[in-house]
Amino acid sequence: MTDTVPGRAEVHFDRHTPEYRHQFEAVTAEMQKCPVAWSDTYGGHWVISDHKSVFDLARDPSLLSTDKDVHGVRKGYVGVGIPSNPYVVAGFLEMDPPGQKDYRTALNPYLSPAAVARWAPMVIDVTRACLDEKIESGRIDFVDDLANIVPAVMTMALMGLPIADWTIYNEPAHATIYTPPDSPDMPRVMQQFLQMVASLAAALEQSAADPKPGLVSALLNAEIDGAKASTEDLINVLVLLVVGGFDTTTALTAGSLNWLSQNPAERARLAADLPGLINSATEEFLRYVTPAPGDGRTVTADCVYAGQRLKEGDRLWLSWAMANRDPEVFPDPHTIKLDRQMNRHTTFGLGVHRCIGSNVARAIFKVMLSAVLERMPDFVCDPAGAVHYPTIGVINGMQHLPATFTPGKRLGDDLAPTIAKWQERCDRERLADPITRADR
Amino acid sequence: MRVWVDADKCQGHTLCAMAAGEVFVLSDVDGHASARSDTVPPELEAKVRLAAGSCPEQAIVIEA
Repeated sequence: MTDTVPGRAEVHFDRHTPEYRHQFEAVTAEMQKCPVAWSDTYGGHWVISDHKSVFDLARDPSLLSTDKDVHGVRKGYVGVGIPSNPYVVAGFLEMDPPGQKDYRTALNPYLSPAAVARWAPMVIDVTRACLDEKIESGRIDFVDDLANIVPAVMTMALMGLPIADWTIYNEPAHATIYTPPDSPDMPRVMQQFLQMVASLAAALEQSAADPKPGLVSALLNAEIDGAKASTEDLINVLVLLVVGGFDTTTALTAGSLNWLSQNPAERARLAADLPGLINSATEEFLRYVTPAPGDGRTVTADCVYAGQRLKEGDRLWLSWAMANRDPEVFPDPHTIKLDRQMNRHTTFGLGVHRCIGSNVARAIFKVMLSAVLERMPDFVCDPAGAVHYPTIGVINGMQHLPATFTPGKRLGDDLAPTIAKWQERCDRERLADPITRADR
Repeated sequence: MRVWVDADKCQGHTLCAMAAGEVFVLSDVDGHASARSDTVPPELEAKVRLAAGSCPEQAIVIEA
């Protein structure tokens, strides 16, 4: 057990319990009374829950490390998970600069706003196909039939992998997150996860033999710390890109559509002025949902912050989700205001680890949201069929979100032929090439 | 009003360009922001304040 340190603020905080999800607002208010506090859970760790402290600490890479030293060659730090997953390194998220920056420099030209904008026609068309498959029936599951598909298709395309293979990665990418560790289904989910890793390893080998434009090729060519990265490291990055690319935007979309179903007047206001509200509404849904509620760090040097003595090696949890509900920065923080201004939320993280897919997430969320509001404006989600992830310890997501709506007319092909068409265009037009300054 | 983006703080969140696209431009390559000009026309001052207030990294420096 943890020793009690004189003067240390102590709380009991367990974000992996269903109670944390159910009582999130009350727990947040309680935690923010003592926003830098030590919790005895998971071997003991600091919990940072107000915006100012999260802002100060997350932006100081000299004070906090995300390193995961699985081979025991540095300081033995254990990465961003609390508790730490001993089997998987989350790519460059669990690395410090400068190597971490080398990865980002290699991948940014595929993920910048200008690079992502080139994909808009595909995202719009794939979204159209997802809705077309359901539009005549008046029934859709917003997770299974839309929000799982578009982010997955986009991620495959960006990586330069066969787009139709999104189905191989779909279930493991989500199930790995939402299945509780003690679930009887866990062995099957782990088996699927290992198959996903094997598929990505095979894709890496295939890409080395027959290079195609995309993130996989960029990784194969990247110089990390002055040398090519190991196959093990590259596979870890591919897993990070798949899990990060698939599950988070799904969670954002589900949470937002569920709220809009419960608030039809606000939905009507948004639908009536999409050009005027889509940007602020997107930021507000990002703040409110916070798909990835936090990240762990390791303290790298003894220091005093907010009157608390942090020691080298201490574990520390930066709660993006609780910072996003800080009334000092977000007036009326538990209310969604579609036109909220100066919404400096922490949803994509702060500092050098800012979510590298943030521009992708925003772009595809806006397309999905706009299409649903245009084509299914009276949708009603079925609370009895909605399945939330049991806990929000890792991702604040939904597994299913069935809804009904007034049926409409389809506009084009089903998903499979639409994906086949875009695969051909992707190959022919080299859509997954990096953007360069000369493109402007 | 004068404005610039502290390149050491900017992480490419892109909210400034959303709030005041007339003033802030994003790099095609990495999405990091810079001011098109360090002098802000009076009619854009309010937008620039909104942009500065929306920056998650507080990387926008305003001199009135």
